[in-house]
Amino acid sequence: MTHYLTDPLQYVFIQRALVAAVIIGVLCAALGTFVVLRRMAVVGHALTHSALPGLVIAYLMGTSLFAGALIATVATALGIGFLARDENVYEDTLVGMVPNIMFAFGILLISTTRSFRDLFSMLFGNILGVTEGDLHLIMLIAAVSLLALFLFYKELKLFSVDPNYAKTIGLPVKLMHYGILLFLSFTVVVGIQAVGTVLTNALLVIPVAAARLLTDRLGRMMALSCVFAVISAIGGIYLSYYFGSASGASIVMFASLIFAIAWIGSKFR
Amino acid sequence: MKFSYCQHRHDAPDPKAPALEIKGLGVSYASEEKLALKDFDISVPAGSAMALVGPNGAGKSTLFKAICGLLPVRTGNIRVFGHPLGACHHRVVYLPQRSEIDWHFPISVLDLVVMGRYVYLGWFNRPQKRDIDIARHALKEMNVLDLADRQISKLSGGQQQRVLIARALSQNADLLLLDEPLNAVDVSTRQTVAEVLHKIKAQGKTVIVATHYYDQEEGRYDKAIYLKDGKKISGADHKEDPTHKDCDCT
Repeated sequence: MTHYLTDPLQYVFIQRALVAAVIIGVLCAALGTFVVLRRMAVVGHALTHSALPGLVIAYLMGTSLFAGALIATVATALGIGFLARDENVYEDTLVGMVPNIMFAFGILLISTTRSFRDLFSMLFGNILGVTEGDLHLIMLIAAVSLLALFLFYKELKLFSVDPNYAKTIGLPVKLMHYGILLFLSFTVVVGIQAVGTVLTNALLVIPVAAARLLTDRLGRMMALSCVFAVISAIGGIYLSYYFGSASGASIVMFASLIFAIAWIGSKFR
Repeated sequence: MKFSYCQHRHDAPDPKAPALEIKGLGVSYASEEKLALKDFDISVPAGSAMALVGPNGAGKSTLFKAICGLLPVRTGNIRVFGHPLGACHHRVVYLPQRSEIDWHFPISVLDLVVMGRYVYLGWFNRPQKRDIDIARHALKEMNVLDLADRQISKLSGGQQQRVLIARALSQNADLLLLDEPLNAVDVSTRQTVAEVLHKIKAQGKTVIVATHYYDQEEGRYDKAIYLKDGKKISGADHKEDPTHKDCDCT
């Protein structure tokens, strides 16, 4: 029976995919906790979709896809923040509008190449194709982002529950808001490798939403979210290995199954 | 090692200066040209209790937010314990209206009250046993220590108010700005709040309370300031004002 678990591990690309999945799962869930609690899930959605033109341009230029996606998401995050300063342009309108423009721009660019083969992995991820170099970059981004979360955990908590009080005691709340957007951009770029631009937001939100159903303490919620995300990521890879399904979609479906179980479980608490 | 939050120095209060001195203050919200508070002067001696009375939209919350640095000062100046704004912010605490807090956030009552200690901890330092003890003592003062482990969404309106005051107490500030602390709370909370305000004043601290209930509580304050449409008015004008009835001053 155990050979079902061990068989896939004979392949180096599966081993790499599992390590990447665990790291990406932990990172998405940890940051996703604040994304969900600060009601920023829609911003995460905007950033994931905005990465596409960056990915395509980097692909066409033959440079790092990570760098392309990172530049596009950071530019979108800062752009939305900047344009929202105009009172006549509502922030939620921008968040609804900008990603569609960026996504359309990405599709337009890739259509000029007459090849839609690589578009599939950009849209839906290809964690089984993670290279050694990708893995190192994922580790670096995750280490920096998780360290920042650990160092500023107390301030993020206060900023989320009572931003006005945070400001009165001197916390730079605008800077913190942009900081969250920046680290969200990092996380999105890493998540795209696993589940693609279309589904990354699911990895940020679904494990956290499931954990929220089962606990009302922030620390426990974060830990549970990480466990759920890691289970989803590993489960999705095995599902993909044995049934030949798309890895990104399998991961998200696994996370959705956990959410459904948590929802049912929460009704019996 | 301590890394204080952005720009805020922790100067000691000047013992000879009033707790709050405001001259020619004009404040507006970022999205509006019109001043929400204009030509406002006030001097509040240290150790006094003052009521800020006026209907909704009179400028009470605007004044508090300007004193705390939440709104930019357009004209005039504000001095707190003899220092310009921001120089001794750890000595000032603003108790917002309850609607400004995310009560569904997954933290306990004790976690929320411990946040009153963050200003002393600064970046990177975690709350220590002493901070937890101070927070628990503040909860005890407000008669809600038994709620310490409860999730904040499971509090009634009166309990929420007591917990917010406990957070203000745990900050150990010398100037407390309380925005409608008695709005929509039960009788026992009103009594507890009144007792605590009395105790705070007896400790030499300064309290300014924005209230709709001044007529019922006149004896608790040394002075009242009346506001209407962002301007200071006299007590007589306030009584004659047709909007006076909005204040529930029965």
